[in-house]
Amino acid sequence: MSTAAPPQKAAPRRERSGGRLSNGAFALLLTAPGLALFAAIIIYPLLSALFTGFFKQDLRLPGREFVGLENFSYWLDGEFLTILKQTLIFTFGATLVPFVVGFALALALNSGLKGSGFLRGLFLFPWVIPGVVVSFLWMWIFNANYGVLNGILMKAGIIEESISWLGQPGTAMLAVIVTKTWASFPWMMVMLLAGLQTVPKELHEAASMDGAGSIRRFFAVTWPQVRGVASIVLLLEFIWNFQHFDTIYVLTGGGPAGTTETFATAVYQTAFKGFDIGRATALGGLWMVLLLILVAVYLRITERKGDAR
Amino acid sequence: MTSTTSTPLSGTDRLRPSATSAGRTSRRRMRKDLLRSRIAAWTAILVIGAFGMLPVYWLLATALSSPEQTFRFPPKLIPTDITFSNFTALAENDQLIKYLVNSLIVASITAVLSVVVATYMGYSFSKFRYRGRRSLMHMVLASQMFPQALLLVTLYAVFSSFGLLNTYTALVLSFTTFTMPLCVWMLKGIFDTIPDALLEAASIDGASRWRTLHSIVAPLAAPGMIAAGLFAFVRGWNDFIFAVTLADKEKQTLPPGLVSTYIGEFQTAWPELMAASLVVSAPVVVAFMFLQRYLVGGMTAGSVKS
Repeated sequence: MSTAAPPQKAAPRRERSGGRLSNGAFALLLTAPGLALFAAIIIYPLLSALFTGFFKQDLRLPGREFVGLENFSYWLDGEFLTILKQTLIFTFGATLVPFVVGFALALALNSGLKGSGFLRGLFLFPWVIPGVVVSFLWMWIFNANYGVLNGILMKAGIIEESISWLGQPGTAMLAVIVTKTWASFPWMMVMLLAGLQTVPKELHEAASMDGAGSIRRFFAVTWPQVRGVASIVLLLEFIWNFQHFDTIYVLTGGGPAGTTETFATAVYQTAFKGFDIGRATALGGLWMVLLLILVAVYLRITERKGDAR
Repeated sequence: MTSTTSTPLSGTDRLRPSATSAGRTSRRRMRKDLLRSRIAAWTAILVIGAFGMLPVYWLLATALSSPEQTFRFPPKLIPTDITFSNFTALAENDQLIKYLVNSLIVASITAVLSVVVATYMGYSFSKFRYRGRRSLMHMVLASQMFPQALLLVTLYAVFSSFGLLNTYTALVLSFTTFTMPLCVWMLKGIFDTIPDALLEAASIDGASRWRTLHSIVAPLAAPGMIAAGLFAFVRGWNDFIFAVTLADKEKQTLPPGLVSTYIGEFQTAWPELMAASLVVSAPVVVAFMFLQRYLVGGMTAGSVKS
């Protein structure tokens, strides 16, 4: 697949429309509409975001005033570390917990049970449901007054009084992570299952014949085969969670008392509640630098896995 | 089934009296292993199944409950008086119907635009080799990972200066930021599966490059293009953050529309919100039933394979 496309080589003179263009020019022409869109809606806004961080600007008003690094120092002298810490807690939690759940399920479904295809489809449900619906649903489950979680826990005698899961600092982040876990473990399950299915059954049998126990077999046979998929899944989910917005915004809006504030909610609130677009984009710039490092790591790892065709 | 002699393993043992005792223990061990792994597998499925499915059950149960039943604590786990009034209330709400129509319009246009643009780009990435191709591909891949919240802040400013806020255009364009990269990668994967020899043959028959793409490659890639479009539709349909920010009541789509309709300052109409949530989810669930086949392939093409 890595040779030049042959058609034009075969009959360069026969072509009429588009025939005057060289292959490379034709290929670039094909990308032109996409590139124009990219430039207009992704690259230009992002560049202008990096720029805006140096200005004092109100989102609702046209003018702006150069203030140098003031917006950046506002964050770095203030909440930056708290927001970073909370973003990392969310990101690690919402990546590792669903990974463990998804992996356990993938292993279970891969162990040759009857009906595992059906179960796989069933388990996809939480992932298929729109993100906002996921947030509504868990808001309702966690509801302090009528929530089913409190109801069950009280019936079981585990708690005596209703807990305001989303309304108090100690549990809000946990609740957000549980919600995100519910929404993303199926995706991880599907990806890991696809990886597991490439492990030849004979390898397991052979290892078992040689007397390897299940734990030994997992690390000696299964893990090396799925490590590639697992690392990509983890990294991608990590990157996505690092910039995740919806679940947190709908469930807590960054509260209570700012304990679930992440980069995403802080940038959003600063811009659309505080109307301070300079400060919002300054924080966004700091955030982007961290993300770019992650993305660079991601590209390095995917690059190493076979040639980018 | 309980008698051990009827199992094939011991049967083989009997047929082969020469089987060593070591072989027998290892087989017994394998059987024990198998049993243990079955138990472990079912435990995992049941525990995760409860975690995964009970919320879905609760979504359904609440949607079918009357408000009186819902606002009682502790809640009844099995609703006794089932009602469809929450769904009928939806159908009678003109504002919600408007959100629904907006959602359909915006998600459809997003899907078509994304697929058309991504088809050309994906084809270029798949079938041509030129300088800068790799960088472009990386740019497309990386753009999926830019922080949406930040992009939104500046998109808002840009749209505002062009007078595009509260228009379908703003929603479609902003949705395209996250649907197009995905479509490009999905479609590149599809074009990779179309053999170069076919293009060569077309060229020998005198077809131009445009014709080859439009009348030979595109029809072959049509199922993949539909899958990509469906994917983009779903992503647009599901979006919350862009729609809630860039559009007002007139042009807003269903997900943010649900928030403004049902989530009140003091009391939320949970049964109605759950019923509406089911309605929002329905087309997505149906779309994914069709997409199942492409799901793993598409996701791996877009993310795992670079």
